[in-house]
Order: sequence, then structure tokens, then C-alpha cells
Amino acid sequence: MILEASGIKKEYIRAGNSFWALNDVSLSVDEGEFICIVGRSGSGKTTLLNILAGLLTPTSGSVYFEGREYSGLSDCELSGMRSTRLGYIMQGQTVLPNFTVLQNTLIPHVLADRGDAAEAAMSLLEQVGLAHLAGQYPSSLSGGELRRVSIARALLSSPVLLIADEPTGDLDEETAGEIMRIFTSVSKKGTAVLMVTHDMNSAAFGTRSYRMASGQLL
Amino acid sequence: MSEKMSFTFQDIIWCNLKRKPLRSFCLIFLVAALAFVLFGSSLITRSLIKGTDGLAKRLGADLLIVPRGYAQTAEGILLRGSPSAFYMEPEWLEKISGVEGVTAVSPHLFIASLNSDCCSVPIQLIGFDQDTDFIVAPWIKTSVPGILKDNEIVVGGAVAGRVGDTLQFFGRGYSIAAKMEYTGSGFDASVFMNMDAARIAARDCASKMGADAPPEKSISSIMALIDDSSTPIGVAGRINSAFGYVKSGIAVVPAQNIISSVSVSLRMLTGSFGALSAVLWIASFSILALLFSAMLNERRQEFGILRSVGISRKKLIAMVLWESGLISCIGSVVGIFLSALLLMPFRIYIREIFNMPYMMPGFGQLCAIACISVLLSVAAALLASLLSSVKIGNADAYRVIREGGL
Repeated sequence: MILEASGIKKEYIRAGNSFWALNDVSLSVDEGEFICIVGRSGSGKTTLLNILAGLLTPTSGSVYFEGREYSGLSDCELSGMRSTRLGYIMQGQTVLPNFTVLQNTLIPHVLADRGDAAEAAMSLLEQVGLAHLAGQYPSSLSGGELRRVSIARALLSSPVLLIADEPTGDLDEETAGEIMRIFTSVSKKGTAVLMVTHDMNSAAFGTRSYRMASGQLL
Repeated sequence: MSEKMSFTFQDIIWCNLKRKPLRSFCLIFLVAALAFVLFGSSLITRSLIKGTDGLAKRLGADLLIVPRGYAQTAEGILLRGSPSAFYMEPEWLEKISGVEGVTAVSPHLFIASLNSDCCSVPIQLIGFDQDTDFIVAPWIKTSVPGILKDNEIVVGGAVAGRVGDTLQFFGRGYSIAAKMEYTGSGFDASVFMNMDAARIAARDCASKMGADAPPEKSISSIMALIDDSSTPIGVAGRINSAFGYVKSGIAVVPAQNIISSVSVSLRMLTGSFGALSAVLWIASFSILALLFSAMLNERRQEFGILRSVGISRKKLIAMVLWESGLISCIGSVVGIFLSALLLMPFRIYIREIFNMPYMMPGFGQLCAIACISVLLSVAAALLASLLSSVKIGNADAYRVIREGGL
């Protein structure tokens, strides 16, 4: 078991009224799994992923990643985990404009002080079909290319778990298909993939699927 | 592949600065302006203090005797080299030397030059008596010449020209026989010649100006040294009682009186510069804090992405501090360089502006002033960025991401 979340609740207060964004969510992820979670906007998908990635603290419940409970980890340990063991692809455009494609790919490695990984990064860019754009800045890349940079960046440290939030949300069908083929290939090599989407075509690539509604996993 | 392969944390910082040139330039400019003023005001203050310290030693005399009503003018000549001319009877030399406590006297004759080819400002010509001189000789940095001929001169440290060069005054050429050390006093912008030559120059000057020639053998001032058992004020009192305070038509000015008037001005100036620097530091700190706050808020998306890929709070704060530290180092070095470039070559003009003795500090002190200015400028920028970076660093990672619009 790579990740185990149990009894996750998250309460938000909006305009003086509290509401449960997540209400008693439990989920476990095994090695090589490709799990898809579908659901409408506001159903709590992104909140769940942020809690599973250690970016957000739940109101109650526990998350174990590789046997370690998040609440017992410091910010440095959680950050270290994200830069080495867990790849997180956030929703929207997340490639940093000040850095080239290769530099963007290398950032988690640099933050983890793990030495020179340029060759590994080039190899990953090759796999996602961007090696020829390694020296380019994000402003000259298309939406699909930018998303593939995010994927390469998340995969550089060979994570055991890849979390992706709406990775095909703003992409055309063909590009979305390419991204899904990359995820499938990654999961077949042993990296678990946990993806949130509202695109049923993309969700069809998963080996296990859930639907999320009103903060609950169904 | 032309792309640089190795990539480090320092490269992240450098890329952030390089890829936002306008943002970096604005911050560098602001820090440079702060360092410019801090270094400039400190340098001017130290130069004024050094110019005033030991002024008595540089004047070389305990008493200055001038025609009544010309004490201030004489101070202007001695402190700032403000060209002027006035005359008194030569008999005063003998009278003053006979007063109890006076051990040596030496006359000076002042002639205000017109603009000369050596200088962009009028020069004070001073005739001195080499036989009795104790003012000029100690400051000659090249070998002391023998008896100065009528066409030979000794020039102050700030007068352009080298030994052997010829300077023209009132249509006559004078060869530079020696050059004085830089003294920080009015002597720096003065030219010295023997008494006979000075009297000829005074007549030349009068004829050029269409004025009456000075009386034969006249002098402008007497510099007097006193013995160790007397005080300048005591000897000045003896001179006044011997010849009559009003009746004599002369004024006896103790050198320390000149210094004390300068010291009062210096205290006011030092206080003003100190207050200006403090106000500017606070103002710059406030502006920098606002700028950093706005810029870091604008970069929330970037910080959110970095948090999601594994940058820790500590490292995020360190990154922002490194950026602001680098910017402030560049800015302060640029500001100090420009300040030095402006102030060092124009020390004569600065002295004229402040009307006070002005002497640049030595290399060691210059370096110390530069280091303190860098430290204060860098501290202002680091403190200003620390407030915002700690706020962002301490915020929940998810909040940074959400507020960054992700």
C-alpha cells in the first residue's frame, strides 16, 4: 500500500456558514494502479488531492504515505516527499515562465538537492516528445506541450505516486489521448497514478474509478 | 543541444532576476539611490570632519592679524581659498613681533587672480616671505626649492599643473617650482610667490582692473606663532591693549576662533546629514517593503507551483531573501560607485558649496564608509523583503496556491 487515507473530513467556512468540502472520505492506492476520480466542479476533488499531496491539512482523518502519517511530518519532510516520492500535477497552467523547459523539469530535483539530473530530464522530455524544445521558454509552447512539461517534471524523481488534477481539462481530444497514454505507460512501470477529471473519455483509461459528489467518494 | 545542462538553486534565483529585467532594475535603482545618498552624505561628513580636525595645525599659526573689518575675508581665504585682496602697513610686522609671547611672525600679501588657464575658478595669489615663513614650507611635497625667483611659484595641492609647468597670471608666466600637499584648507587653491613678485602681480592686477595700485611694501596679513607659556587669547589681548583695540585699525584673530566657528557649522551639517540619512533609510525601507509586498503577492502563483513541486517554507523564504540580497548588493555597489564618481573629482566645488575645510578620508576610511553603506542598504532591502517573504512562507501551501489563482 502506497497511500492510505481514512475518514478524511474538511470543513470550510464561507460567508459565516460552515460546510463540509470532504465528508468522511477513505481511499487507498496500491503500486501501479491508475485510479480516476470523476465529479462535477465543487464536489471536493481538488481539496481531496491537495490533502493527499500534503498541501492541505484535513479537519479530521488521517493520511499515510509509504507508512508515514502526514500529521507527524514537518513542512520540510512533506516538501521533501513532494520533490522525491510524490509527483503532483496541479490544475491549470503550472510551468514557470522564467525557466526553460529543461529547467522547469529539473526544479523538483534541484529543490531536493539531489545533484545533476539533466540527462534523466532529457530522457523524460524525449519520452513525452519535448526533447527538441528543451531550451525553449514556456511562452513559445502550446497548452498540450506545457502539460507534458508538467508531467515530465512530476516524473523526474521517479515517484511512487503521481497525482494529477484535471490534466486534460483544457486540452483537445487528441492531446488528451496522448497524455492518457503517458499515464498508462507510467502506471505499467509501477508508478501509481491518481487522477481527477470530469472528462469521461480520460476516466476510461483508469484501472479503478470513483465518482465524487458533495464531498463523498462513491 | 545548446541548453546549459547543470541547473542549481542559485540558477533558480538568477533566472528569476534575469527574466524580469524591469522588476529587477526598479529594485536595483531604488537600492542604488539609497546607497548613493548614504555613501555620499557619509563621505561629505567625514571629509568635513577631517578638514576641520587639525585645522589649526594646517593653518600653521596661532594668531592671524589683518586690517580691521577683514577678519571674515581672511578666514575665507584661509579656509576656502575664496580670492580676495586687502592691505595693511608693513610696520605692523615689527610692532607685532615685539609683543611679549610672540615668537615668530611672517607676512602674507593677498592678490585675487582673474580666471587663469590652470583653473576653472579664480585663484588666490599669496605673496610670502621665505626668510620668515613657517606656513608654506612644511606643506611642500616635492623638494623644497631654494630662494624663489620672481617668476617662480609654489602651488596648492588642488591647483592643476606639475613642477616645471608654466602658469599665466595677469599676462606674466610663472614656472611651478614646487607643489604643496593637499591640506583641506584654502591653501589648496592658492598660489604662493615671493613678496617682490607678489607686489608686481598686485600692480598688474590693479592695472588690469583699473584700480589703484596697493601702497608700496604693503602686506595683507601677519601670521604669528606664540611661545608655550602664552595663550592665543592672552597674546591677542596684549596686542589690543598695546596698540588700542579700535585705534590700531587691525584685528587679531586666534586660530582657534576660526576653528570654533567652523565646528559650529560642522555640527549643524553633520546633524543634518545624519537626519537626512536616517529619514532616507526609513523612507527607502518603507518603499522597498511596499514594493516587495506587491511583487511577492504578484508572484503567489509561482510560489504556489514551487510549493506543489516540493519547495519548503524555509527554502522559499531563502530564495526570496537571496534574490533581494543579490539585488541590494548590486544596487548598493552601483550607488556607491556613482556617488564616489561624482564626489571624489569635485571636492573643490563641494568645499565651495559648504564653505568649510574639506579633506577626503584615506583609503581605509573610504572602504569602511563604503562597507557601512553597503550593509545599511542591503539591510534595508533584506528587512523589507523578509516581512513579505515570511508572510508568504508561513502561509499554508494550499492557501498560497489558491491565492495564486491555481
